[in-house]
Formats: sequence, structure tokens, C-alpha cells
Amino acid sequence: MSILKLDEVTKVYEGKVAHLAVNLLSFEVEKGEFLAVMGPSGSGKTTLLNIISTIDTPTSGDLLINDINPLNLPKNELSLFRRKHLGFVFQNFNLLPALTVEENMILPLTLDDQPVEEMKKKVKILAEQLNLTSILEKRPAEISGGQAQRTAIGRALIHEPSLILADEPTGNLDSKSAKDVLEILTEVNKKRQTTIIMVTHDPTAASYCDRVLFIKDGQYFNEIYKDDRRQTFFQRILNVLSLLGGNVNDLSTIRLS
Amino acid sequence: MTFQQFAYRNVIRNSRVYAAFFMASIFSVMVFFIYSMLMFHPNIEDQFLQDIAFGGMLVAEIILIIFTLFFLFYSMSAFLQARSKEFGILLNLGMDREQMDRLIFIETMILGFISIAVGIFFGFSFSKFFFMVIREMFLLDSLPLYLSWKPFALTIFVFLSLFITISISSAMYIRKKEIIQLLKGNWRKSDDVDFTKWKANLGFGLLLAAYSLVIISTYYMNIEMSIIIIILATVGTYYFFTDSILYLLHQIRKRKNLYWHRYRLIAFAEVSIKIRENARMFFIVTIVSTIAFLSVGVVTSFSTFTGQYRALNPVSIFYSSNWDNPFEREHIMKITNQLQSDNLSYELVKFNVKKQTSSSNGEVVHLIRESEINSLAISLKYPILDLPAGKAQFLTDIKETMGNDNEQEVQTVLAESSVPIYIQGVYDYQLFPSFVMDKQTIIISDEDYRLINEPLMGYGVNESNITYYAFHVPEWLRTKNVGTDLVNIMTSSLANTNHNPNPFYFENPGLDYSVIQATFSLLLFTGLLVAAVLLLAAGSFVYFKLYTDLERDKKQYDVLRRMGVTDRELVKIVNRLLIPQFFLPWGLAMVHSTFSFLFLQALWVDLAAISIAMEMLLVLAAFTLIQVSYFYLIRWRYIAHIQI
Repeated sequence: MSILKLDEVTKVYEGKVAHLAVNLLSFEVEKGEFLAVMGPSGSGKTTLLNIISTIDTPTSGDLLINDINPLNLPKNELSLFRRKHLGFVFQNFNLLPALTVEENMILPLTLDDQPVEEMKKKVKILAEQLNLTSILEKRPAEISGGQAQRTAIGRALIHEPSLILADEPTGNLDSKSAKDVLEILTEVNKKRQTTIIMVTHDPTAASYCDRVLFIKDGQYFNEIYKDDRRQTFFQRILNVLSLLGGNVNDLSTIRLS
Repeated sequence: MTFQQFAYRNVIRNSRVYAAFFMASIFSVMVFFIYSMLMFHPNIEDQFLQDIAFGGMLVAEIILIIFTLFFLFYSMSAFLQARSKEFGILLNLGMDREQMDRLIFIETMILGFISIAVGIFFGFSFSKFFFMVIREMFLLDSLPLYLSWKPFALTIFVFLSLFITISISSAMYIRKKEIIQLLKGNWRKSDDVDFTKWKANLGFGLLLAAYSLVIISTYYMNIEMSIIIIILATVGTYYFFTDSILYLLHQIRKRKNLYWHRYRLIAFAEVSIKIRENARMFFIVTIVSTIAFLSVGVVTSFSTFTGQYRALNPVSIFYSSNWDNPFEREHIMKITNQLQSDNLSYELVKFNVKKQTSSSNGEVVHLIRESEINSLAISLKYPILDLPAGKAQFLTDIKETMGNDNEQEVQTVLAESSVPIYIQGVYDYQLFPSFVMDKQTIIISDEDYRLINEPLMGYGVNESNITYYAFHVPEWLRTKNVGTDLVNIMTSSLANTNHNPNPFYFENPGLDYSVIQATFSLLLFTGLLVAAVLLLAAGSFVYFKLYTDLERDKKQYDVLRRMGVTDRELVKIVNRLLIPQFFLPWGLAMVHSTFSFLFLQALWVDLAAISIAMEMLLVLAAFTLIQVSYFYLIRWRYIAHIQI
């Protein structure tokens, strides 16, 4: 069953020079899948993520999340839709500095006005899983990047959304913290069957996923599925990236001449 | 592009940011200038008026300067903080610290020059209008616009030194920071909220003590108490903002059932930070708003005072003469001449007051004839009396009867002349000044009056008589020039004693009133203008602070919006964030004012029987209205900024 379905989604930024950010992009994401979206800078990754986040609307094409087309929802219900179905993890963590780790995590629940007992229970379980129990009372300024990102993951998970959107979640982390975060995402994906879409530059990060989708200049470029060993998957990702980075057309012209 | 041009463009192109700041500083320059115009006015001849004009304006100007200094310093540092990234880049590009100091100095001075120039321009334009208002208040013949270098020099000197102080100190502020700190932008220490528990309790305790003292004073008035109350309240307010309120919020945040609820989570956390950052500002705003409310409130109550003053002093000019007064004819001649030369129409009623001993309590009483009372009552449009022989009425003295009810019905005999009278009821209008009504005054019928032939025991034939001259002048407010020499005699001989050594007594309520009115009106005007400056400045300060944190706030709201917070909910969160910042200092100022009014009310009742509750309520309501509309204005701008 597909949880997300994009059908010929196109986004054009109007202006003095019209810019085609996403061009006729179609793909599906199955429930419980961990998808990475890769592509060079300016390839439209962020626009794509914003469209899926429903905070940006495509110029044409259709989008289905959980069989609901968010494009047809009025503004207010769209917000409620996001609140119910989506969870976000950002590159800069974007924790609210005034709130403690615990308070940051329960934020989505308070907005939904859930009973306090329920919140306490959920925080306790999640904090143990994310290894945050000892720092629940700390503020974002007092914790490390890895801890901050784990808190952000906790915030994205606590209301049990059907889809988690992660924008470069390891972009600001050292390799050890990045590994921790990726392992946690994988674990969450496996144990909770949470669908995750992760935009990333980092091939190591992408190698933790089930599938990697490559886009270039807003268009579908290629996709590869993981195999038994992460090491070989990583190698294949690198291969595609080298194709993406170097100009494919240039190479062929050289050959032809 | 020269260095000066660079600084100039920085200011001009940031003019939208500086708009609110400009408005507040221009306004304060303007008000300062108008005050100094009055202070140096050459045409105020009346020495007394000159004294109040000069004194009142001086106090107002000092308050203005102190406040403007705080205001400029706070807003300058808020601006620099907002622009710290820019300074970081400049330093990174190789600007040295000295150039940076110069840049900030030039920029601040450009701001200063423009504010001073525009402020003085507007101030001068509005001076004429201001003088017209003042002229009406003081009933002066003319108060022309004049041109002198003094007000200009004073204003320019004061504000130039203010701006120089500010620019040097704000340059220091930036100087201490490392480039890396500047580049990172916000150098807020931490988002943690710190407070000390004992200070928090001290804040609550002091405020509570101050309020309790006020309540106690309404029963046992003691003027010296007011100083203690003021000190307690001021220190209490300071700790209230720096610690108590944070402690209170902390207590709420500990209770998860209360705290983990919809918008409260974000609102309480953010509010704690904003309050901690702005505590001192809130303190200043509270204290100054209280003073402003009070001065305006007290003066507004003056309209009540006019009505009641008239009721207490219905006789426009009063002269009483003892039997041995050699100046009687001379003085009355003088008064009538002055009234005539001022073109004031008047009616004169003469009272021959007799003294007798009342047998019922053995005390001396004053006796006035019914027909004399009636001729004054007709002039004043009071009800007239019709007493049959043997009947009498007390004449009320409001100050005397306050609290203790007179015996309403007394059967007595005027001992010396053996005239029996039956006193029934009170003629409930204050006709004569309390000062001369030191004995009980009784109105008797003309028939009985004629029967009183014997003088007071131990006195000669005419020695127990007093004569009252009551002038009724319809235009009583214009009598302030009448009998000024008599007033001077009265004030000098009654300055230290309650006993009148002169054989006469004189009172001119019109003159007394004009003095009181002028003082009060000046207070009102000063209070109003200072209050306006403060409200504007306080409001724009909240705006700067919001502006400084805008980048950070924008990011937060973006996260919240992604998380599925609807626009309506966002407005609710913004409300919960802004309302405390606007209404907390202000609400406390309200509470302070209310208690101060209670105190004043108690004090007032001791001075004169005047109720000021209604006026105070009106003033508080008016200020609330202004504050609410200001809140909506700023909220509208803020939401427009964060909704992109």
C-alpha cells in the first residue's frame, strides 16, 4: 500500500526569470519504507520536500498522502492534516530554545490538547528509546548536536504520524552523532513501521535507507534499491552520484566525436 | 562612497526599522522644547505663576531627560544587537575597531541631529497652541509667541549630550564582543530563566506591605506614611519584575497539568524569557506610568473640585469685621472700588451677627437674622426661610458636621436677653467660611432678633456684635485681583497660627480658586504630555524588542506552522506572548494607581469633602483604551512580519 503518491508534480517559480524547480516528477512511497532523496544543489530537493510537507503547492500535478489529496483541503484543515499525519526533522534541529528537551518533545501533543498523563507516558517510552532520559530537563542550548537531533526525532515521532520528513538530518552533526541518528531512524523505521522520507547530500546517510531516489534539475534521474550489504549499497550510491555530478551528456559527446 | 556616506546610507536605508524609534525621540524632543519655551517665557509677570511654571516645567523636563536617556540607551542596544551580524561582517572584512566606533558614533549622531531638528521644528510650531492653552488655564491676558535663543540652546544642549553619551556607550557595548559572537548574531546569554527565591518573595512581600499600609491609612491617615509606601512600592515593583514574576511562572511550569496545555507551553516559556530580558524596562515603565496616571487622575478630578468648591464657598468675597475694627469702612470701600474698576457686577449683603450664651449647653452662639439670610439666599438662588417667632435653625458648617450629627432639635434660652427659642433642623448650605463659624451659628426670626438687646455677658453694648459683608459676584472666577493686599495680610498672619490677630477676616475664593486651578492645570498638562511621551516610548520599545528577536521568532513560527499550527492558533500564541509584555507593567501601574487613589481619596477627605473616585475611574478607562489600541497596532505589525 502506498502512503505517498506523486503524479507528474511540477513546480514553476514565477518571476522575471521563470524557474522550473520540479518537473513532471512521479513516484510512490510504500508504507514502512525508508526513502532517501538525493541530488546535487539546486536539483529541487527542498522544493520537493516542501510540496510533500504541504507548505508549498505544486503548479500542476497531484499529490496523495494516505489517500488524501492535501491540495483540496482548505488552509485550516491543511494545518490539522499536517499535525496528524506528518512529522518533521530539520538540519538545524529547530528546537524551541525556551523549552526543555521534554517540553520540546511533547509540543505536538499539547497543541492537540491531549491528557497530561498520556503525554508523560509517551515521553517516557520515547526518551528511553532515544536515550534522552538523563537530559529531559535540559534546554537545547545545553545539549550536544546529536542529542538535539534525537530530541527533534522524538518530537517528530511522539504523535505517531504516518510520514516523517527529514531534511538533511545529519547535515550539522559529527560522524559519530550522525551514525547514532541514522541508526535511530532505521530502528524507528523497522520497529514502528514509520515511513520516512529523508533528503540528504551524504551518501553514508543514504546507504541506511531502503531505496534512494536521485533527482536532477527537478527531474527524476534514477533510483536504486538496497541490497544485503550496506557497504555495496554505499558503493552503488557513489557510482550514481558520480554520474550525477559529472555531466553525463558531455561524456557521450566526447565518445561520439 | 565615503565613510560618512556609508553611515548615512545605513541610517536612511534602515529607516523602516528606525521609524518607531524616530517617532518616540522626536516626540520627546518636541515636548521638551515646548516645556522650555514656557520655562523661559519673558511675559509671565506674575511672580507666583512664574514660580509654578518654572518649577513644574523643570520637574517635567528632568523626568523626561531621565526617561529619554533610558529609552535611548535601551533601544540603541536593541538595534545594535539586531544588526550585530552586519558589524561582524564589517569587522571580518577588515574594519578596525576605531572605525567601527566612528561608524556607530556617526550613525547615532545622524539619528540625533534629525530627531533634534525635527523635534524642535514641531515643538516651535506647536508652541503657539500650547501657549494658548496655558493662557486659558491661567486666565492670563496674553501669552505671545516669542523668539529667544534660550529654549533652543537648552534643548539642543541637553539632547546633543544625551545622544553623545548614548553613542559612546553603545559603541562600547559592541566593542566588547568578539567577531565570532557578532557573526553568530544573537548574543543572548542563555535561554534559561534565573531568579532568586528570596528576592521573589521580597517583591511580593513589599508590594503586599505597601498595599496594606494604604488600606490602613484609609482608616488612620498619616501623611508621613506616604513616603514609606512609595519606597516599599518602588522597590517591590523592581523585584516583582526581576524575580517574583519569574518565580510565579516557574511555579506554574512545575505543574504539568496547568502548563502542558495547548498554547500555554510555548507562551509561558517565551514570556519568561522576554520578561527576564526586559525586567528593568518594565520596572521603569510601571513606575512612570503610575506617576503619569496619578497626575492626570488628580487633575481630572479637578472638575469635581470646581463644583464642590463653589458649593463650599458660595460667597464670592467675604469680609467679617469685629466691633473694634478701625479699617472697616476703608476696606469695604476698597473692595467695592476694585470690583467696579474690574467691571464686575456684585450684590452686597450685610449681616449683623449677635453673640449670646445658649442656656442649653452654656456656650456662646452666633445669631443671624432670617431676613439677612434670605437676601443672600435669593442672590445665590438657595431656598428662602420663613421662621415664625420663637423658632430657629442651625446654619450648617460642612466641616463641622462631617461625621458628628448635630442635635436636630434643641429647646434653649438665649441667656442674656432671656429669649426662648426652639431650634429645629439645619439650613443645609455653607454660606460663610468655616473660619468665622467657630461658634455654632443659629438663624432666628426677625422678631426674636429684635428682642436681643443685651450684650454678651461681660461685654459693652456693641462689643458683642460682628459684621459680615458677603459679596455675591456672578463672575466669581474673575475676582482674583480684588483685595490682594487683604489676602496678603491674612496669609502672613495666619501662616503659623489658627488664631486671627486682626480685627477683621477676609476671604476671596475666586483668588484661592485661581491659584489652585492654575497649579492643577499645570500638573494636568505636564502629566498628560509626559504620559503621552512615555506611552509612546514604552510601546515602541516593546516593538523594538520584538523586532530584535524577529529572526529567531520567525524561525520558530515556521517550525510551528510546519508542525500543523493553524493561522488562528498562531495568532492565539502571539496574543499570549504579547499581552503580558503590554499589559503586565501596565496592569501593575493600574493597581499601583488604584491604591494611590485610595490613599489620595483618604487624604482628600481630610482636606475637603471631595470624592474623586468617578474621575479616577474615567482616567484609568481612558488609558486602558489607548493601551489596547496600541496593542492591536503592534500585534498587527508583528503578525504581518512573521506571516510570510
